Amino acid sequence: MKTGLKGLDPRSKLVLVLCLSTLGVFIQDIGILTAVLCASIVLSAASGSRLFVLIKKFRRILWLFVAIAVIQSVFAPSGRALVNLGGIKLITAGGLYKGVAMVLRMSIVMVSATIMATSNSREIVQGLVQWKVPYEIAFMVSVAIRFLPLLTDEIKNVVTAVQLRGIELDRIPARQRLKVYSYLIMPVVSGAVIKSRELATTMETRAFRAYPKRTSYMVLTMNRNDYAVITTSLVISILTLYITH
Amino acid sequence: MVEPYIELDDVSFAYERCAPVIQALSLKLYKEQFTAITGPNGSGKTTLGKVMTGILRPQKGRVIICGKDSADMKLGEIGRRIGYLFQNPALQIFAPTVREEISFALELKGYSKEEIDSEISRSLKNFDLVHRSDAFPFKLSRGEKQRLAIAAMLVNKPDFLILDEPTTGLDMERRRVLSDILLGLKKKGIGMAVISHDRAFVACLADRTIRMYGGEIVEDRT
Ligand SMILES: Nc1ncnc2c1ncn2[C@@H]1O[C@H](COP(=O)(O)OP(=O)(O)OP(=O)(O)O)[C@@H](O)[C@H]1O
Ligand SMILES: [Mg+2]
Repeated sequence: MKTGLKGLDPRSKLVLVLCLSTLGVFIQDIGILTAVLCASIVLSAASGSRLFVLIKKFRRILWLFVAIAVIQSVFAPSGRALVNLGGIKLITAGGLYKGVAMVLRMSIVMVSATIMATSNSREIVQGLVQWKVPYEIAFMVSVAIRFLPLLTDEIKNVVTAVQLRGIELDRIPARQRLKVYSYLIMPVVSGAVIKSRELATTMETRAFRAYPKRTSYMVLTMNRNDYAVITTSLVISILTLYITH
Repeated sequence: MVEPYIELDDVSFAYERCAPVIQALSLKLYKEQFTAITGPNGSGKTTLGKVMTGILRPQKGRVIICGKDSADMKLGEIGRRIGYLFQNPALQIFAPTVREEISFALELKGYSKEEIDSEISRSLKNFDLVHRSDAFPFKLSRGEKQRLAIAAMLVNKPDFLILDEPTTGLDMERRRVLSDILLGLKKKGIGMAVISHDRAFVACLADRTIRMYGGEIVEDRT
């Protein structure tokens, strides 16, 4: 694998990501989960994803992860109590274990998903089409991928526009807050509806679905690296699952 | 002349992972002057306007608004002094009806119902939107959206306006009306910087013309 994971076919990446997330979901043991997470991080970095930029961006919601671990451990107590509060076992060994496992699982799914983001949406659609997924469905997937960043841009725009009217978002009286939040959502939703209608019209003017068969200008071919990646990830995942269960 | 209202001091700005658009630019804008900013597409006019308003924060240099470093000001605080019109007015419209769009800021600032009502009807009349007052803002035409965005901005009574191509999408008659409104505001002592390709529109209003090219000011004529 001279070229690393960078030149990989999107289908190989898809198999890799599916294997990693499957492992993440089914494995119970924290040690193995940690190993899978490490593998995901290494693979994601090798595929040229912007993992570290993303981690920086999501720094602010990291506390959410911690909160999930704690909540998980509070509501599923088992084993020895580590923190006791007035007779209630607040944090227990078993609960904490489950909480940590939960956080590891979520991290694995998110980190491995960044591998997929290194293919552009056109490639992903073509990969799905060559796997005999109907073009309409493949196209819908690509539109969804394409529109997601636009939606976040749109929310940012509305937040800016509201502030430019001389409103400081953290000083809105509690009574009015709900209304302002609804203002933030409305343009985004109606914008999405309008855009999708326009997209549908545009597609029809360009004869989308006018003919039963489509020819693709882009044709993906898998090479030796791809087969190697697909086989390795499938074999390792199946073996791991087989051994741990 | 007196204190500048907005001062850019050695400002550089680049979009994320892009080459810099504005480099080491210094500029003073006065409330007493109507400033027109012109230049070809992509010369950085919109970017400059957003940097002046604090929507984009420069990587280098300072933007001083009313003698205060804007890095220490929240966008809401700047918004109370400066009215900014987006090049695409659809981006700054968010309420479910035309009327609410205009009353939004007034309600949050705790004006009385009578004050709000009189302000709305005056504003609707000024911008010829009376017949559309209950319409859904997203379904307005481009020119109507433009007028609504300006109306919603003006009820805030800002001290300084930055308008990014305010005449695109307006017909001849509406252009004349807008010109009259801006002239009236200028007489009231409200400062203005208008980004525009519309020479005829700018010619009869501007005291100062700045020409941009490739992110630099190539001409500054008073
Ligand atoms: N969000 C963005 N991300 C990256 N680059 C951008 C972004 N917005 C603008 N640019 C780039 O910055 C440069 C200046 O753009 P700007 O919009 O300021 O030009 P302008 O003078 O307002 O043009 P126009 O007359 O078309 O409105 C352009 O080269 C543009 O490609
Ligand atoms: Mg522009």
